Amino acid sequence: MANLEAPPPTRRGPVLRLRKIWYQSRTWAANPTVALGVILSVLAVYLILAPVLLMLWDAITVDFADQARTGKSIGELTFYYLDRALLSPISKHIFWKPLVNTALVSVSVIITTLLLGGTLGWLVSRTNLLFRNWFSTALIVPYMVPSWTFALAWMVIFKNRKIGGPSGWLESLGITPPDWLAYGFVPITVILAFHYVPFVILLVGNALKQFDSQLEESARTLGASPLLVARKIIFPLLRPSIISASTLVFAKCLGDVGVTYIIGAPVKLDLLATSLLRTISTGQAGMSAVLAGAIVVLGATSVLIDMKLLKAAQRFVTIGSKGSLHRTTELGKWQVPAFGFAATFFAVSAIVPLGALFLTTIMHMPGVFTWDNFTLDYWIGQDLVTTAMPQGLLLTNEFWIAAWNTIWMVGTASIGAGLLGLIVGYIVACSPFRLMGAFLKQVTFLPYLVPGVAFAAAYLSMFAVPRGPLPSLYGTGYILVIALLASQMPFASRAGIAAMMQMGKDPEEAAQIAGAGWWKRATAIVLPIHRGALVSGILLPFISGIKGLSLVILLAVPGTDLLTTYAVRLVDFGYTQAANAVAIMLCLIAFVGTWLGQKVGKSNLGSGIGG
Amino acid sequence: MTSISIRDVNKTYTRGNTRAVADLNLEIPASEFLCLLGPSGCGKSTTLRMIAGLENLTSGQISIGDKIVDANAEGIFVPPEKRHLGMVFQNYALWPHMTIEENIEFGLRIKKTPAHERKTIIDTVLKKLGIEKYRKRYPSEVSGGQQQRVALARMIAVSPEVILLDEPLSNLDAKLRLDMRTELKRIHAELGSTFVFVTHDQWEAMTLATKIAVMNEGRLQQIGTPEDIYDRPANRFVAEFVGTLPINIIEMNSLDNTTFRSWLDAGIEMLCLGDQQVHSLGIRPETIDILPGTAGADNGNALCSAQIIDLVPTGGNWIVELDIAGARLFALKAQVRDLKPDQLVQLSVSKQDLHAFDAAGDRLVPTPSK
Ligand SMILES: Nc1ncnc2c1ncn2[C@@H]1O[C@H](COP(=O)(O)OP(=O)(O)OP(=O)(O)O)[C@@H](O)[C@H]1O
Ligand SMILES: [Mg+2]
Repeated sequence: MANLEAPPPTRRGPVLRLRKIWYQSRTWAANPTVALGVILSVLAVYLILAPVLLMLWDAITVDFADQARTGKSIGELTFYYLDRALLSPISKHIFWKPLVNTALVSVSVIITTLLLGGTLGWLVSRTNLLFRNWFSTALIVPYMVPSWTFALAWMVIFKNRKIGGPSGWLESLGITPPDWLAYGFVPITVILAFHYVPFVILLVGNALKQFDSQLEESARTLGASPLLVARKIIFPLLRPSIISASTLVFAKCLGDVGVTYIIGAPVKLDLLATSLLRTISTGQAGMSAVLAGAIVVLGATSVLIDMKLLKAAQRFVTIGSKGSLHRTTELGKWQVPAFGFAATFFAVSAIVPLGALFLTTIMHMPGVFTWDNFTLDYWIGQDLVTTAMPQGLLLTNEFWIAAWNTIWMVGTASIGAGLLGLIVGYIVACSPFRLMGAFLKQVTFLPYLVPGVAFAAAYLSMFAVPRGPLPSLYGTGYILVIALLASQMPFASRAGIAAMMQMGKDPEEAAQIAGAGWWKRATAIVLPIHRGALVSGILLPFISGIKGLSLVILLAVPGTDLLTTYAVRLVDFGYTQAANAVAIMLCLIAFVGTWLGQKVGKSNLGSGIGG
Repeated sequence: MTSISIRDVNKTYTRGNTRAVADLNLEIPASEFLCLLGPSGCGKSTTLRMIAGLENLTSGQISIGDKIVDANAEGIFVPPEKRHLGMVFQNYALWPHMTIEENIEFGLRIKKTPAHERKTIIDTVLKKLGIEKYRKRYPSEVSGGQQQRVALARMIAVSPEVILLDEPLSNLDAKLRLDMRTELKRIHAELGSTFVFVTHDQWEAMTLATKIAVMNEGRLQQIGTPEDIYDRPANRFVAEFVGTLPINIIEMNSLDNTTFRSWLDAGIEMLCLGDQQVHSLGIRPETIDILPGTAGADNGNALCSAQIIDLVPTGGNWIVELDIAGARLFALKAQVRDLKPDQLVQLSVSKQDLHAFDAAGDRLVPTPSK
């Protein structure tokens, strides 16, 4: 090791120093990471850090509307909102009850997903389950279907007389489902759990795949019972992936508004996110900042705990070594029950909801299975009696506008996010300034902790008023595109960082030696090499952006409706069938988009899903 | 042809405040095959990367040919892509998304070589390195040894005047290494370019280089021909680093074995070191002569009685473990037919095979006779 003391810098006059500075800048100019890093850091501050900080700032400064109530003038520091949200008589309804509900829902969702996903993950990765390969793809489908479509489907089946609109299937069969089954805590838990089981299947399944079966076998030869092996060997080694999956699911539960909005409202069940949505939509900037802050703090805490636990667990991470064996377990007489279990899960989490939704769109009266009850009116009908929708969905102009908006806005945002993510990865892996890389890595991860609604609120604070040279963006498509882009940076930059770290700097340096300037290196070497990462960096944001509701629900106006917000508007009007038809079309776009992306990019998403 | 000159170069990595290269001065004449030799972490790669421009200097100056390409105090920096060098990376750094042919073609395209010439050049280098068969394959579809040939082919296709190689043979098996060594020698003879070859394998350095520069902890220890380095190591570090079997080092200050001592003193006497204090003495195992029997003279060299303790075969050569009144010494012999354990023998070493070092570890040379 050449660990000698660095020589004291020699200073001989200002000319020499100037030349050395000139030398430094010449070497930096030869290295594009420096300039790119500066540009990207500015962008990250402007598009992510500033909006979030600005929104949180609202929590402790007086809002225009509250000048009289607080007795202070606009912009002054105040504890009014904190006090109101946490201590006042209404705090119970605005904050504490939603907090408890959120905690209950998240904990039950996490437990359910771990049990279901853990079992399914083990079945598809370590056993000789029938149609194992098929299942390993099919079981991911629920993740591609927007979570709120499950809620719509649930309503189709379980809705009772409590609220208006077409009645549910059970109701029309003469069975009135009780409120607890139709709305609120139980359905929310079930729906969120089904939606996030794929995470656990992927994370735990991947961990199990790497797992050396010699470890369990050696324990078995020592006489340990299978149960003891599971408890003492398998579980501890799976802990990191279980923790990651739990954190991921927790963050998602914190931010989800769609499901609760649709299925919690009839029984007035609020989670923090829906409470936040309410304060935002009634224009209470201060209160929403407090609630958003609370969600950010909860999310950040869970990630910190995750990192701490992972650090502790990393010490015994087993890396698949040369002699590792990946033997599958013979299911034997359990083959049929196991297959039944996996098939049931697939049916309940994908076929039934999508099927139910689809059926509602081709039936006049829900749940009445007679020939003359079937119709295509909701798709292609004309001169219908419904006031606001005289034509079927496919003939309605708004639908096509919303569909086009979805495709171009989410598409642009995803491509932008994918490219920027790759650049972030490039800077993290190759920049001579470590701090810049670390800063970018952290800031691009920040939107992950800020639930969609809160992020949207932040964007409203930042871009709904003219700032500097920029006019107010509210009501335009641009605010949606940049909000989508910024909110998808966590996936994109993680994909980029992983890819760049793995490849390292050598291929680019080799091109540089061969005489290629930076543009040539970027287009002929770096981008093509990382095509796979770029594809997942674009596709993952695309899927998650296309089905996401919480971010766009605040930012879209009727002119800039996306399919998601359009569907919610239809729900609000009571046009359930049309809303369901929109949901079906949305799933179709997500599937086709994913399929096309994988074909064009010649890469597979399976292992990359993470949000 | 192109020479390289490195003057007073220092490199300190800000990260970890590591001084990777210290006060380095190297003049590499045109068409030299210079090996940078040294243990891991001694700054070989850093030196190479500074020549290539992939790493900037903390101070100092580098010229390639008569052009200054890097001078901290002058504010001169020529980026790597304008230095027109060839380089082979330790892990080859082939572009995984291009076929082997495209890998080779890339540099030619950048040089704006016309298409028909490109084709001829590619055909020639592919043939020269025996990889024509694989031209349409991707790097991941050929073996490590073939990848390495591709890396070489990619580099020589643009016939650079300066060629930098960072441990290009380290990932190959023994047989392939031998082949590639011959290959490299041939390429050097054909192109006549200036080679800088980084290795920590002294055998590689000995067999390839026209000059070897030995480095340790960021500092140049010695530069010279392979014979210089082997026969006249400039200091203890070089003596100990170079040699198939570790050199025997005897600390003279703490030696109280009279038999051994008087023999060594007789040897030191012949070195004509005047009144310079010998701190330690090095004797390469392969330079020790073993004479069976207990008496006799060996053309003027002093003799020393010893007993054979053990004979260890190493595949072709034998390590002979010797005991001199309690002290251990190792010798290396090609054949040991007339030797056996416990046998009493006489040892003899010529004076040019005795390496005397002072307290600082530097080589002691004869004082000019007065
Ligand atoms: N990018 C870097 N940042 C900080 N320190 C570095 C960096 N690169 C190298 N070093 C340090 O500089 C010293 C010299 O490194 P260098 O890579 O030149 O060694 P080397 O002689 O090529 O070794 P090896 O034979 O292992 O390749 C080492 O101590 C190393 O840890
Ligand atoms: Mg090296």
